[in-house]
Amino acid sequence: MKCKSCGGEIRLTDKTCPYCGRLLTETAGHQAEPEAFQKKSEKSKGGLRKALSDNIPIVISAVVMLLLIVGICVASYISENAYHFREDAMRRESVKKYDEYSVKIQEYLDGGDYTGFSAFKEYHNIAEYEAPYDELNQLWDITKVYTRLVSAVESALIQGPEAKLRDQDSDVFDVQMAISRFYDEFKWNQSKIDADPYKDRMYDMKKKADIILKIYLGMDDAAREAYFEASDAKQKAYLEEVILHD
Amino acid sequence: MTKKVILGISILINLVLAYFLIQGVIDAREELKFEYVEQETLRPDSLRMYLERENYGVAASLSHPIRGGAEIDELDEDYYLLGEYADTLFLKAIFEKSGDTATATACDQRLAEIREKMPAYSELLDKIEESVKKTIRE
Repeated sequence: MKCKSCGGEIRLTDKTCPYCGRLLTETAGHQAEPEAFQKKSEKSKGGLRKALSDNIPIVISAVVMLLLIVGICVASYISENAYHFREDAMRRESVKKYDEYSVKIQEYLDGGDYTGFSAFKEYHNIAEYEAPYDELNQLWDITKVYTRLVSAVESALIQGPEAKLRDQDSDVFDVQMAISRFYDEFKWNQSKIDADPYKDRMYDMKKKADIILKIYLGMDDAAREAYFEASDAKQKAYLEEVILHD
Repeated sequence: MTKKVILGISILINLVLAYFLIQGVIDAREELKFEYVEQETLRPDSLRMYLERENYGVAASLSHPIRGGAEIDELDEDYYLLGEYADTLFLKAIFEKSGDTATATACDQRLAEIREKMPAYSELLDKIEESVKKTIRE
């Protein structure tokens, strides 16, 4: 307890405050029977110590249990979100390695190899839409639909002589969708593309898409125009003829 | 219930929890390992199946990520190279038409490298080459 006068720490058996010397009246009861007080106090302390020592193993076990439960929750959380952790780590890595990666990206672009560029971006989980890669935003978008076009056309057309037939309706649908996605994306973003520093690359991609339609789907410039003006059903019928005929 | 019984039960529960924790840590470590080829678009089993079914175009499409630098397990490398061969042939025709002569030449070199690397598959490579040629309309 504390002395009312100076606030110093006093014991129940003190007659005067050891700090200010004040006569302590508040401890009078304890001073009257100091031995009884001490015995009672020792008994209480002993009881407390015994209770504590008896329960220590249970308390430790409970603490361990709590820690184990927390550990299981953390491990489950990491497991559930591992994909995002990995992705985030790779994205941060791609920002760190910008100098190295930008040289490689430039090589792909200089070679007009946009599917390679897209594959590089996917594999290294480049932090698209984030600085310092954000200047490539529009190019990423067009490359995605261009790569989809390449994949759809090659998947539908390149079959061995004894190929087991795939779902041909699905092949035709994929090609039709991929064509419309690429040309629509280009048309809808025309003004952005024209103002983009990578405008030439995107026009080159469109030129290559035209070539794909020409050499693999038999559409010259006039046929391509006619294809885009035709209804969905007619577009489908044209692609069915080309893909199924092959 | 005596304290000993409570302690015994809690130790048992802790043992079970410890087992789950160890299992959880092992699972988390596995999940955190980045195996692009296994976990992303490249699946060796699918690729093998498409090659066996002679759907070379699908195999070509599945092998795109290799050109982005994906590392392939040695055991599965042949399948991916066959897919890449079809993909490179398909793209080479586009590069030739678009005037990217250097890239078309690089494609030729890559095709030659794959052929050199896989002499046992020369018949299959011929078949793939024929299949791609057949799709070109001009």
